[in-house]
Amino acid sequence: MLRRNATFLVISALTLAAAVAVWVLRGMGAVQHALAATWDLILTVLPSILGGLLLSAALRQLVPPGALARWMGAESGLRGLLVATAAGMVMPGGPVAAFPVVLVLAQAGADRGALIAFVLAWSLNGFQRIVVWELPILGPDFALLRLICGLPLPILAGLFARWLPIRWTPADAPGMQPRHETKP
Amino acid sequence: MTFGVIGIWIVALGALALCLRRSPVVARRAVVDAGSALWRVLPVMLMALPMAALIAELIPAGWAEAWLGPDSGVVGVVLASLAGGLLPGGPFVAFPLVLGFLKAGAGPAQMVALISGWAILGLHRTLAWELPILGGRFIVLRLLASFTLPVLAGLSAELLLPLFPGATLR
Repeated sequence: MLRRNATFLVISALTLAAAVAVWVLRGMGAVQHALAATWDLILTVLPSILGGLLLSAALRQLVPPGALARWMGAESGLRGLLVATAAGMVMPGGPVAAFPVVLVLAQAGADRGALIAFVLAWSLNGFQRIVVWELPILGPDFALLRLICGLPLPILAGLFARWLPIRWTPADAPGMQPRHETKP
Repeated sequence: MTFGVIGIWIVALGALALCLRRSPVVARRAVVDAGSALWRVLPVMLMALPMAALIAELIPAGWAEAWLGPDSGVVGVVLASLAGGLLPGGPFVAFPLVLGFLKAGAGPAQMVALISGWAILGLHRTLAWELPILGGRFIVLRLLASFTLPVLAGLSAELLLPLFPGATLR
């Protein structure tokens, strides 16, 4: 509880500092312009947030804990990272949908390397984003060059993450509801 | 955008229907779970979202041409990776911005680094979405495992650039 409030306070302070900086350097009109843009963004993303959280909660009821351990667990080796990378690339939707899905994979037994590979594959090489945004705006040559350079990175990050001695379990995630109120 | 949202909702409602078929108790638990997750996640998101728009107001005009040209080499790639990490907003902000930089004379390899930095480091997305849902420990692990990769992408783009003459857009 304390940690969540601390996060909220830090974020609020950063946003407030940015607002003050814009006000001092660019004037009040720029602040208003930014807030109007934010309001539009909220209206755009709110349906995805609601859908993503509902999807995550429903899937966690359906997928039994440990079901994906064989595919993406700590013992899954390079194949696990490849599976996670492919899953990340076909994952549709923005971050609000993808991050809750990380919770589902974690609960189903995916290890930290596979989770990192999934997040990176989705954010770097997400298929939907390339087709909808990158290809039309920047053209096929640039998009292909960027994709080729980005393709191996999720695997590398997954290997690094497995090698780093930092443990992470779904219980560390604020978005994860403890199954029952009794905590060990 | 709307297409993605509709897709998410179709899949989410489909999953909820599967819960309902298993038993109404399971479906109810899913909805309650989603509601309480929203309650915990929303305050941080609402405070973090204005940050993107505010930072966009602070980017000075003309910095890309000066620092991220095709001859800026490794320094340009490193700078572009960091700049990408600070770049706020979704694809609807980032890709038009990169197009503008390319037309103004930024190097393609540097722009590959910039997009990779935006996708991997993305400070704003990390604070607005990853932190409320997955927590600080996950972010530390992910950033430690990946912070050098945008530079790697930029350097490999520099090597492969002769194969993609159309990437310069000029």
